[in-house]
Amino acid sequence: MTITLAGIGYRYAGASKPALIDIDLELGEGEVVGLAGPSEAGKTTLCLVLSGLAPRTVGGQIRGSLTLDGEDVDTWPMHRLSQRIGIAFQNPSTQLSQVTDTVFEEVAFGPMNLGLPRDEVISRTWAALSALRIDALVERDPRRLSGGQQQLVALAGLLAMRPAHLVLDEPTAQLDPAGTQLVGDAIERLAADGASILIAEQKTDLLASICSRLVVLDEGRVALSGPAADVLADPRLDGLGVAAPSPVRLRRAAEAAGANVARLAEAFSGD
Amino acid sequence: MAGSGRLSGRQPVGGGAPDFLGRPGPTAYHRLNPLTKATLATVTAIAAVVLGGLPGPILLTAGAVILPALSARVLSRLLRTALLLALPIAISAFLVNLFFFPGGSQVLLRIGPITATAEGLGFALEILVRILAISGAVTLFYLTTRPGDLTADLERRGINSRAAFVANASVQTVPAMVERAAQITAAQRARGLDTEGSIWRRVRGIVPIVGPVILGSIAEVEERTMALEARGFTRPGRRTLLWTPADSTRQSFARWLLLIALLGLIVVRISAALT
Amino acid sequence: MLARWIAALAAFIIVILIGMITIGNFATGVDTGNFFDTEGANSFAFIGAIALVVGFLVYAAVEYAQTGGFGSIASQFDTRTIVLMPIAVAINIILGATVANALKLPIYLDSIGTILVGALAGPVAGALTGFLSNVLWTYVVPPPFQNGPAAAFGIVAVVIGVFAGLAGRAGWLRPRPNRPIGELAIGGLVALAIVFGLGIYAYVRFYAAGFEFFSPENTDPIFAVVGWLIGALFVTFVLGFLGLLFVRRDLTVAYVTVLGVVTGLVAALVSAPISANVFGGVTGGGTDFLVAAFRQGGADLQTATFQQGLLSDPVDKLVTFFVVYLVLAAMARRTKARFPQGERLLEQRDAEDREEGGWRGAAA
Repeated sequence: MTITLAGIGYRYAGASKPALIDIDLELGEGEVVGLAGPSEAGKTTLCLVLSGLAPRTVGGQIRGSLTLDGEDVDTWPMHRLSQRIGIAFQNPSTQLSQVTDTVFEEVAFGPMNLGLPRDEVISRTWAALSALRIDALVERDPRRLSGGQQQLVALAGLLAMRPAHLVLDEPTAQLDPAGTQLVGDAIERLAADGASILIAEQKTDLLASICSRLVVLDEGRVALSGPAADVLADPRLDGLGVAAPSPVRLRRAAEAAGANVARLAEAFSGD
Repeated sequence: MAGSGRLSGRQPVGGGAPDFLGRPGPTAYHRLNPLTKATLATVTAIAAVVLGGLPGPILLTAGAVILPALSARVLSRLLRTALLLALPIAISAFLVNLFFFPGGSQVLLRIGPITATAEGLGFALEILVRILAISGAVTLFYLTTRPGDLTADLERRGINSRAAFVANASVQTVPAMVERAAQITAAQRARGLDTEGSIWRRVRGIVPIVGPVILGSIAEVEERTMALEARGFTRPGRRTLLWTPADSTRQSFARWLLLIALLGLIVVRISAALT
Repeated sequence: MLARWIAALAAFIIVILIGMITIGNFATGVDTGNFFDTEGANSFAFIGAIALVVGFLVYAAVEYAQTGGFGSIASQFDTRTIVLMPIAVAINIILGATVANALKLPIYLDSIGTILVGALAGPVAGALTGFLSNVLWTYVVPPPFQNGPAAAFGIVAVVIGVFAGLAGRAGWLRPRPNRPIGELAIGGLVALAIVFGLGIYAYVRFYAAGFEFFSPENTDPIFAVVGWLIGALFVTFVLGFLGLLFVRRDLTVAYVTVLGVVTGLVAALVSAPISANVFGGVTGGGTDFLVAAFRQGGADLQTATFQQGLLSDPVDKLVTFFVVYLVLAAMARRTKARFPQGERLLEQRDAEDREEGGWRGAAA
């Protein structure tokens, strides 16, 4: 199942200028696409549009088309769209439903809302928990978990909806290093399993490790787009306010200091 | 149902519903259906008001509060909590009515310009037993029932899912907000906020705490709304429940009996007053 | 649309008239603390409450007949409102418990959430928020916040929520800044006239001995204290009101003041009988001192609780409405606009959302 954005523009309610201008993007099955750009470039807005929350929940106006396998989803209500595209946000605690005392019920919240038969709710919940390896947390109170663990619970809650695509809006931005590691590893595993993910991040290291393609936004437009390795090595990244990933920066620093990088790479390539 | 199998993970490892869902209570009283316990508490509270006088509420408390509390083995906790709950009201009630009861003729005590009268004492005692009955009944319910169980039961019977959501979320939000207020208080204290002292200082001290707590909570509304809608919250109709408390025809019968008894009591009382 | 409101209002008035004629009773001079002793019963509040429910049912029935659904009621409960309600309930309970238990001030401050939801989402949503707050406050919230009497006052919270919802819908809470002095002066005078008119009417009924507070023959020290308290409140209110009106140059200050005082008076009317007949005038908060003071002055139970209510409630609701107005002012325009009644709380500005050039809003 492929999501296609064609000529997408979006303007928040009461805003004079649009937040997104003429975006074309495709997210296919099994693809992991990264979204980078300075703050206020429109990364979050693009995530909201992709998931359908904009304009359904957030208001505002949209132009262009969003199609799933060619079918226009403009008239789809949010609960139908949420079963195709899941979205996770930065703040781990505001994604909790606040009506559950255990992680199990928290993850089951989505399928329960969908009115699925009880057995299916339970089997989906177990599947989601094991996909994120948080089976051990089933009995814990979600409010008492660490930020990283809460993000995993949020992701499990989304997986339980069986979406075809996942949209992650800076999932590690509000986490401490331990949490970032936890969530980063989980996302890497999902990507390795063949999930279709669009992940917006400032931490280009994470993008470098999992993304096959990368899109860089600047002031609501696509500035760079292409295979991840190429985009990350592009010298224009810096001017766009995006930090290159550590290996690239290290290489540049070494070159600037006068080291012969090619020979160093040879020496270290014994693995 | 859409969704590539890739994102749904491997085969479920766990079995059926985990057993910590709907864990039964320790005693038979705990295991009663929450609606039954709620009916008992409400009928007792209302009956205490309807009866008035002294013997009525006392007997009511003994039968509908103390006895079940004994069987539920929560009596000591109940006494402590209910008395704590009733204490401020009881003190006020006693003082206000004992001393400030106009038209009392049998004087018991005289302290300066205020006098305690026997009529005032009688009235104060009446109010006191009524308040004790009400707080006892309500505390018994609170000690033997998880709020989530009551809402789950009501949802099964047909209450709107969103209403149940609001009730459940409210129960969780109160302690969460208190914690947040405590954090903000600590932070403000570190910045030199004065929280002790005269009443005026305390009132002024509340504002820099209340402001961030209220505004901070409201700022979260947008994010929470998006998170809920991303999990199918907008779907109309009933949602699936993982577990609901058990009920029995005997309990249903008992509930109706209680309600009819209350109605009868009201009718009797009104007609007695009219004659 | 109007037909529904007219039908509901008619039903409301008819029920009140029937009730007053058959069992209407405004008993004062009586000391029994029990509804079921008819001399002690004040049934006006009950009649009003029943009339409110009947009016609501008629409104719903007419809407169903007209449209086959309950759109205007259900639309008040979109996801955003559902998310706000628990927060509002928590605000009600925490602030109310703090004021009553810890501060012992003679006000309640337990309706900020109710009025906020009413203004943003509508009368039914506000009413339910208030009702739920009171019920949970008694049955489910643990000590030290638990408040035994609260559930009995659920109907008062319903009334407050309805008032706030209707006021929001009517656009009375929309900011009106930078009005010319003339408009402000007129608005201020009208507001003060309404407030004092109502105040005097209400107070004169119950405070026949009130003006003796300051008389030198009255040697009872309690009256001196209460008298000065009333005087101080009076002066603070007038100064504060005028200050806000002319410093912020916001005409809505006048609206908010009237709203606060009127809601307070109605709340007092509905809550006093409950307080008197169920709890003997005592609910554990700071207001009990006032009741004691009035009883000392020789007033019977019904009158004393009314007098206390007429003092505490308008002040309390005035402060609450102002707090809500400030909170609304602090909320971003975008945040408010998405609520069911949010548009009516925004300052009038030129229409910005142009739907041209292929821009479209949400279809679903």
